[in-house]
Formats: sequence, structure tokens, C-alpha cells
Amino acid sequence: MSEPSNGFRLFGLRTEIPRWLSATAGLFTVVASAALWWWTTRGVGEERILLYSQLPSIAETIEYFPNLWEADSPERHLLHNTLVSLKRVILGFGLALLVGIPLGVAAGCFAIIRSILAPLILFGRNIPIAALTALVFALFGTGELEKVMFIFIACVAFILSDTISSIQDVGERYVETALTLGATRLQIVFKVLVPLAMPMVFNSLRVLFGLAFGYIMLVEIIQESGGAGGLGYLLNMARRRSRPEIMVIIILTIPIVAWLIDQVLFVVQCWLFRWKYGREAENSGAFRLSRSILSLFWRPANSNSKAPA
Amino acid sequence: MTANNIVEFRQVTKTFNVGREDEFTAIRDITFAIEDLHGHGEFISVLGPSGSGKSTILRLLAGLEPQHPPTSGQVLVSGVPVLGPGADRGMVFQDYTSFDNRTVLDNVAFGLECRGVSKTERYSKAREWIHRVGLNVASDGGKYPHELSGGMRQRVAIARTLILHPRIILMDEPFGALDPHNRYQMQDLLVTLWREVQATVFFVTHSIEEAVYLGDRVFILSRSPGTILHQIEVPAPVRPAAEMQREAEFQEKVFRIRDILEDLESVKKNQDATVT
Repeated sequence: MSEPSNGFRLFGLRTEIPRWLSATAGLFTVVASAALWWWTTRGVGEERILLYSQLPSIAETIEYFPNLWEADSPERHLLHNTLVSLKRVILGFGLALLVGIPLGVAAGCFAIIRSILAPLILFGRNIPIAALTALVFALFGTGELEKVMFIFIACVAFILSDTISSIQDVGERYVETALTLGATRLQIVFKVLVPLAMPMVFNSLRVLFGLAFGYIMLVEIIQESGGAGGLGYLLNMARRRSRPEIMVIIILTIPIVAWLIDQVLFVVQCWLFRWKYGREAENSGAFRLSRSILSLFWRPANSNSKAPA
Repeated sequence: MTANNIVEFRQVTKTFNVGREDEFTAIRDITFAIEDLHGHGEFISVLGPSGSGKSTILRLLAGLEPQHPPTSGQVLVSGVPVLGPGADRGMVFQDYTSFDNRTVLDNVAFGLECRGVSKTERYSKAREWIHRVGLNVASDGGKYPHELSGGMRQRVAIARTLILHPRIILMDEPFGALDPHNRYQMQDLLVTLWREVQATVFFVTHSIEEAVYLGDRVFILSRSPGTILHQIEVPAPVRPAAEMQREAEFQEKVFRIRDILEDLESVKKNQDATVT
């Protein structure tokens, strides 16, 4: 079989396809999903395949959207509640980082610390998330502390174990090289193991942060005396007032916010680890955008290195 | 007495997993001495069938676990037993071990940084060594390892080792992954640098040409468990690698050693009696 004249194969094994095709393929899925949504919710009343109470139609959802976007009360405001949820995740996750990364580095370097922490990690990683909501509720009530501690406990064991394995995955050759160059044990930890492991740690943090952002709603739903807000709270309100549109809007909002956060984290990762993501960064639109924005405010002295691709 | 020996192995044996079913003796009863000649470091090439313990000898000298410490016998450097790794015994590995997060300049300066040498001083020394191994300070100094070719990475590894002025340099097939052209270039570079620094070099290789060209002496190890079967003196590398390795006299030496090695590969294990 000969290659198409424009130089790519539709099903080339592990080869790239042109950007326009990639975008079109993605768009196809969006359109197909929307069509399915429209088809199952078309008509009125009992004629619909899925009733309004099961799944509101596209038109109904769009019609309701301003109620959330322009809500007078912050409790019902979509952006406000998203930021409330995000703040809790950032606090809980930040706390988990402060505890998990230093401990993980220590445990990755020294088997004795690893053995001491092993039981905690085993429990932490396997704690049923539903049971954890009950536990933090019992321990900390329904305030902000409960929500932050929920994210902290849910994440810290994963951060710990991922940091440990990233440190352990750094090739022994690097350690041996440093040893024959006269490095002490402490120097090997901070000049070799930690810098070489950090990109891997950061990768798993990106995944975990996305998960944490999905988890936070579990504790926001338990709301005895209103007022605390968050996307989970909004979801609960949707159920109480029988407004299924809110549920659909939140379901559509979460992935977009999660994707935005992931792009921001990826850009941070590229800037932190230029030595590893040189080429990958150049292919990322988000990274190029960040560089353009940055160059408006700050011009490095040696800006002759690389022009945007 | 032996204080005059820069390196000495006294009946060194290394057995792994002692007392277990998979007990394995990598080297047995190795004894040799390298004299400490004033102003001249000897270049020892180490050849042997695969699995004959060539790397074990190097790593025992470097003090790297799990080969270090020996099961029995003594490994002495300047008359003192090796207790662990140190910058007085630099090592260059076959795998590329440049620190990926450091530029060429910071890779070469690593050892000095660990000693607490000031930034200006270690950078100026690093620039000098980057130049001496044939890299361009201005264009290569700021590059990260992923931007370098294999040959360039090994130049960085050599610069990073030699900047610390080790008395002993241990090289474990450093050019094994390079193409022939690059290999000749690196051999010439190594000869030049070695003459300048006058360190004792242990060079493990699979290439007989390389061993004969670079070495003052070639050690030939037996099949596992390795012992030193022959120590052959060879002429010094007085002409460029690509040229000298084509000469008839050189080729003859190579064929002689190849015959010995091929015998070793074919003959059965039990031949401890042939130790010379």
C-alpha cells in the first residue's frame, strides 16, 4: 500500500496526523454527542425519549444558564461556586504537598523511613472515599476545615507514594556517577535525586489535582445549614429545587475547568523543567501563549535563543 | 613493601549471594600491582569474555556496591584499602550519565560544586575543561544533555571526571555505544588528555583494537570466575588511532590476542590450571 500523496496515513501506527484532521475528529465527537443529546430530548412532554426530569434539552439548558451566570445571590452563582470549590481544593492539596513531598523524598531515599510509612500509605491509598466523607464529617463538622482536611487526607498518601516511586526510579548510574565525583549522601539527595525526580512527581500531581477537583463535591453536598457554597452545594440545590439544568451545566463545567487547570499546570511544568520539556513545550499552544504573555512584561537579556515556532 | 604501588589487588575474590543456591563467583584470586611511576600514569586495558568480571574489577576499585567490598583479599590504592567511592578515583560509564537537569557547564562543574568551590572559580575551570575535551564553550556550554550527541555526552563525562584531577581513572566501555568514526576521535582525545594528566587508567572494552591501541598493558581475563590469564605489554599510541590501527604490526598483535580470546570462548569452564 502506498502512502497518500499529502504524506500521512489515516491509521499510521504511532504516527502523527495533521492538526486540522485532529481538530476535525475532535469536533466530530462533540457534534455527535450534541446530536444524540438533541435526539433523545426532542419533542414535548411524554413524547420525549428522556423526560425533562431525566435530562433537560439543549435549549432548556441554555435558557437556564443566565440564571446561574447572572445570579444576584453568590450562592447560586456558577463562577463564584466554582472558585469556592477551587479554593478548598488548592488549600487541601497544598497542605498535602507540604507534607507529602518532603516525606516522600525522605522515604524514597532511605528504606527505613519507607518501612515506617508503608502502613500509613497502604491505608491512605485504599481509604474508601465514601467512608472518608463520613469520617471528616464526624471529626471536623461541616465547616471549611472539614473540606480542606477531606482533600488533604484523600491526596496525601498518593502524593507520598508517587514521590517515593519517582525518587526510586532515578537511575542508579546517576547516583554512582555522583559518588565517584565525590558527592556526599546529602548532596546526592538534593543535587541529583530530587531534581531528576521532580518532573515525574509533577506529572502525577497534575493527575491527582484533577481527581481532587472532582472529589471536593462529595463533601460539599453534605450541607446541613447552607451558606458554605461550592459546586457540590449548587448540585444539591439543583436536586432540591428539581432543576436538572443545573446538574447538566455543572457536569459540562467541571471538565472545562479541569482542562484549564491542567493546561496552566503544564505550562508551569514546562517553565520549571525546561531541560526536559524543551521540544514538548514548543508544541504546546498553551506554553507558546504563556511565553507571548510573559514577553509583554519581561524581556530576558538572552532572548536571542529561540523564536516561537 | 608495597607502598610504591598505586593500585594493588591481593588475591581478591568476589562471590555474590554467598551460601545461597544462586551463589556466583565473579572474580577469583586476582592479584596484580600497578607501580606508581613518577610523572607517568600507566594505561591498563582490560579484555575478557563477557561475564568474566571486568566491570567487577573496576567497581571494586571505585568502591561501588554491591561489588565492593570483596569477599576475600584486599584492594589497595596507594597502599590503603578502598573503603568506598571517592573523587580520587573518577569513573566514566558506558551509559550516558550526564545529569539531565544541568547544562554542560554545570555538569562539568558538578564535582567542584560538591567540594564547595566558588561559582566563578568552578565555572572558569569548567570552561577550560569543556574546551580541552573538544567542545565549544560558547555554543555547547549552555546546552542540556538531551540536546547532545552520544560522543558529546561522553566528552562531558570525561571533562567532568578529569576536572577533579583523579589519580586513577576507571572507564567501563565508555565508547561502546559510539560509531567507528566517533570512536577513533574519542580514542585520540583520550590519549592526548591522558598524556597531560598522567593518571593511571583502567579501561574495560570489548574491542581488541581499542585495548591494544590505548593500553600500555592489556590484561586478559579468563572465563567466569575471572582470573588474570595474561598481561601483555603493547606499544604506546604514538600515531592517530585511525592510522595506527591499520598498520600490519598492530594488526598482528590484535590477531594474537583475538586467538587467545577465541580459545577462551570455546574451551570449557574448568581451566583454572592455565593461570600464568
